[in-house]
Amino acid sequence: MGTNTDLEKSGIKKPFLTRKRRKIIHDITIHAVLIAFGTMFIFPFLWMLTTALKTSNELLQGTDVLFPADPQWINFRVAIETVPFFLYMKNSFLLVFFAIVGTLFSSTLTAYAFAKLQWPGRDVFFVIMLATMMIPMQVLLIPTYIMYAKIGWLGTRLPLILPYFFGGGSAFYIFMLRQFFKGIPKDLTESAIVDGASHFMIFIKIMLPLVKPALITVTLFTFMFVWNDYFGPLIYLSDPEQWTIALGLRAFQSQYSGRFDLMMAASLLTMIPTLLIFFFAQNSFIEGITFSGIKG
Amino acid sequence: MKKVILGMLILISILTLSACKGGEVDERIEIEFWHLSPVGDKSYSQVKQIIRDFNESQDVYYVNGTGFSFWDYWDKLNIAVASNTAPDVGFSTIDDNIHRAERGVLYNISDFMATDIAAGDDTLDIDLFYPSQLRFLTYEDDLYGLPFTATTRMLYYNLDHFAEIGLTEADVPTTWAELETVAKQLDKVDGTDIERIGFDPTYGQGTYMGYLWQAGLDFFNEDLQVTLNTQEHKDILEWMVTFNKEFSRSQLNAFGEANTILGIDPFAAGRVSMMIATDGLYQTLQDYDSSMNYAVAPIPLPDEDGIRVNWGSGFSLELYKNGNELNNKARGSWEFTKYLMSTSVQVEYSEAVGWLMGNKDAMDIVAEGNPIITALVAECEYAVDKVYIPYAPAWHGGDWFQYYDELKAGKLTVQQTLDNARDWYNEKQTNYNDTH
Amino acid sequence: METLKKTSTRKNAFKKLRSEEKKLGYVFASPWLIGLLTLGAFPILFSLYLSFTNYDMISKPDFIWLTNYRILLTNDSLFYKALFNTLYHVAISVPLGLVAGILLALLLNSKIKGMAIYRTIYYLPNVVSVVAMSLLWLWLFQPSFGIVNNLLSPIYEFLDMEPLLWYQSSDMSKMTLIIMGLWLVGGSMIIYLAQMQDIPTELYEAADIDGANGLQKIIKITLPLMTPSIFFNFIMGLIGGFQVFTTSYIMTQGGPGNSTYYYSYYLFDKMMVDNAMGMASAMAWILLVITLVITMVALSLNKYVFYLGDQT
Repeated sequence: MGTNTDLEKSGIKKPFLTRKRRKIIHDITIHAVLIAFGTMFIFPFLWMLTTALKTSNELLQGTDVLFPADPQWINFRVAIETVPFFLYMKNSFLLVFFAIVGTLFSSTLTAYAFAKLQWPGRDVFFVIMLATMMIPMQVLLIPTYIMYAKIGWLGTRLPLILPYFFGGGSAFYIFMLRQFFKGIPKDLTESAIVDGASHFMIFIKIMLPLVKPALITVTLFTFMFVWNDYFGPLIYLSDPEQWTIALGLRAFQSQYSGRFDLMMAASLLTMIPTLLIFFFAQNSFIEGITFSGIKG
Repeated sequence: MKKVILGMLILISILTLSACKGGEVDERIEIEFWHLSPVGDKSYSQVKQIIRDFNESQDVYYVNGTGFSFWDYWDKLNIAVASNTAPDVGFSTIDDNIHRAERGVLYNISDFMATDIAAGDDTLDIDLFYPSQLRFLTYEDDLYGLPFTATTRMLYYNLDHFAEIGLTEADVPTTWAELETVAKQLDKVDGTDIERIGFDPTYGQGTYMGYLWQAGLDFFNEDLQVTLNTQEHKDILEWMVTFNKEFSRSQLNAFGEANTILGIDPFAAGRVSMMIATDGLYQTLQDYDSSMNYAVAPIPLPDEDGIRVNWGSGFSLELYKNGNELNNKARGSWEFTKYLMSTSVQVEYSEAVGWLMGNKDAMDIVAEGNPIITALVAECEYAVDKVYIPYAPAWHGGDWFQYYDELKAGKLTVQQTLDNARDWYNEKQTNYNDTH
Repeated sequence: METLKKTSTRKNAFKKLRSEEKKLGYVFASPWLIGLLTLGAFPILFSLYLSFTNYDMISKPDFIWLTNYRILLTNDSLFYKALFNTLYHVAISVPLGLVAGILLALLLNSKIKGMAIYRTIYYLPNVVSVVAMSLLWLWLFQPSFGIVNNLLSPIYEFLDMEPLLWYQSSDMSKMTLIIMGLWLVGGSMIIYLAQMQDIPTELYEAADIDGANGLQKIIKITLPLMTPSIFFNFIMGLIGGFQVFTTSYIMTQGGPGNSTYYYSYYLFDKMMVDNAMGMASAMAWILLVITLVITMVALSLNKYVFYLGDQT
């Protein structure tokens, strides 16, 4: 393989668009497009930030004042101090932890059954599973609540934790994981089967590791949903000591005057864990997955 | 695999154990009370104190109070009532109290009062409350709720703006004609953008039903049939939407939405000089630390035959049966209710949350020295609530707005609006009757 | 002799696994099945029962047979309008969302520096509170002072047309909400990115050896192997689209002129405002049937999906 100097020596002209130049143009174009649209996507976040930093007088002036003259970072402190912020955080983390464990547990197992196993009624149950997502949640609210009232789980955390271990609210993830499981090449499992592996071992030792990006996605989405869910804690918990952060921060929305600055400050603070998780979850997205070396 | 199952079982048992609720507090009868002052609200500690004072004043009952933010409270309450897990004492809305009373969901307060009198005990003095509110809380001659708060709507007007055109408090308009004259003088335009509007009948709490009541009309007649079919109905609606006809639709939209989108009150922002609003606007101005000079006045009447009336709503205090019959909890709830409705406690509560209360003596005390509140309290005498229509509980809201908004946008004429609304209410009535 | 032994071992191994699968399927799916039959079934069946009653949430329901259904289908002037609004939304937002999500994922899968930051930025709207976003959109798309119309004013002048009214126009409002919904494309983008990480790199390497360029690699490798996720987002887009509600509730309250009054919003009002929960339940079950029928038609497209796990 000749270098550019070899080419020059042999009299052939160097093409203008060398591989390196093509890559630079390619990269710059992508950067440009991403930045152009990215400004639109980052806008909501910036708007929340500037609102959080305004004084109440500036809030009153609405859109005449875009940037706060004297950023009120103290609003963040007020938001933290007005409610038992860290108690609520602890409660949120508790619920989120169990939700993630439960969801990963029940949805991976069920997805594997739909994806890789042949069992009577499988396709019917698959459609039933999809159908459970087609009923608007509002009409199920009171029946569900009455059910929990009858079995005595009201006022406890059970309705907010146990269903996740039994596939509750997981139809979305079950379907998603099923798609991913079906995308794993067959020959990886076949050699294991020949070696006498049971389905369970294939599931744990081969399938799960190969769908790691999907598992991370399930974790992220579950985290976001439970972290931001104020409604579940609202109706099922009776002791304010068990309130989560999403519910606790609703106190900033009073009937007549929403203190928008405090609301935004509080919302921004709650966003931080989600963003952190997302940012660091990137790392496993960036690795590719090679399948060589698993063969044989 | 076995270890995993074992782990899960242990986990589940831990959770179940931790789910057990505590028992009664030192042998006292526990009363559940839900209110609107959650942890983090500025009224939280004061409301907590009010409850604590009751608990310390006697040793038979123990009230456990939980506060929720305004928007969440109603979701929580409705679900709880549906499943018979409602609190023993809670706030609700006065205007549809009859709906719950009819269905046997609430305890009969008149019975409680009669029992007190028979036993020679103190009971509530009904004269402390506004008759119009009590009327809404009465079903088959008995009370099923008490008026915890009172609301009223008045005309707020900006004295700084008035001063600009040489007017004072004494010049506040009292009829629609005067209103128009003064409002036009206060309009301010900057090029094609509206900078300030003197008054708009559709802004703030200016409602079609409110103006109808001033003329002795309403949406419905005594048989709960929709009306909206007289010339006067049309004239009043016409007046509302053509008040500022010199401005274009898009100008008015832009002007209105500059504030509503961000949840800013246009009067508080100084963009509207006169506006109909509830006592809540007073609170808003306090919260925003506003230095505006303003005053309140009764809403101007259509003409000298007009009726002095405004839309007053309010929270009711209700005792939920949850499928039980009279028991010790109910008695305790009643004792706590009497406590909450008593004058001194009503004063305390008002100072905590800034509401106008239903107890007239309490409001006189709170209004002392504050001209705005004194005026608001005085106007409560003329406040009435809106009728409850079983087949269209939100007749004044979503049902009406779908046509009203189109009218304001210039897409429907007044006649079409009224006709469409009438058809809609009739359809709802038919469907309701078919299902009940 | 050796090969024969290997083949029969293989065959036996597979036979053993196949017979076990019939039971094993139920074992693996047991958490979900148990959940469905215990916690899941009661609310669903109860709501079906309620749809045949006049339940108003505070008194004992009376059984009224099919009255709710009859009223909805024959004597409710908003029913078909609400249904149309939702069908419109599904028909437009689903394809648009699919295309946008795929394009974004392809862009964000490039190997350039700072990709993690870009991905976070594009995902930000999904993390921001829905209320804050909705208010912001109202402000941006306000016909008179919103930035969008300000940016577009040269185009309006060039075409000599009135500025678009966006959410204030009953013709454009649904489209406006759909465009705003595109801000949330980050959600489907993540799933595509996850799927793309599962594409074996050997395939790309083989394509490079064959001299394929970037576009060819995308069309022949990336996209086909993304079809499992594309199919997923398509079905989920349909199911979710039929329940569209929140943005209209916060921003346009169903207006103007009921143009954004979606089916689920009407259902919500029937329940929370009119206290007609029996009727609302009937609406829910009608929606279920419609969604189910359309979804099952969509599921038949499964045969075009390329699952690597099904290839021998």
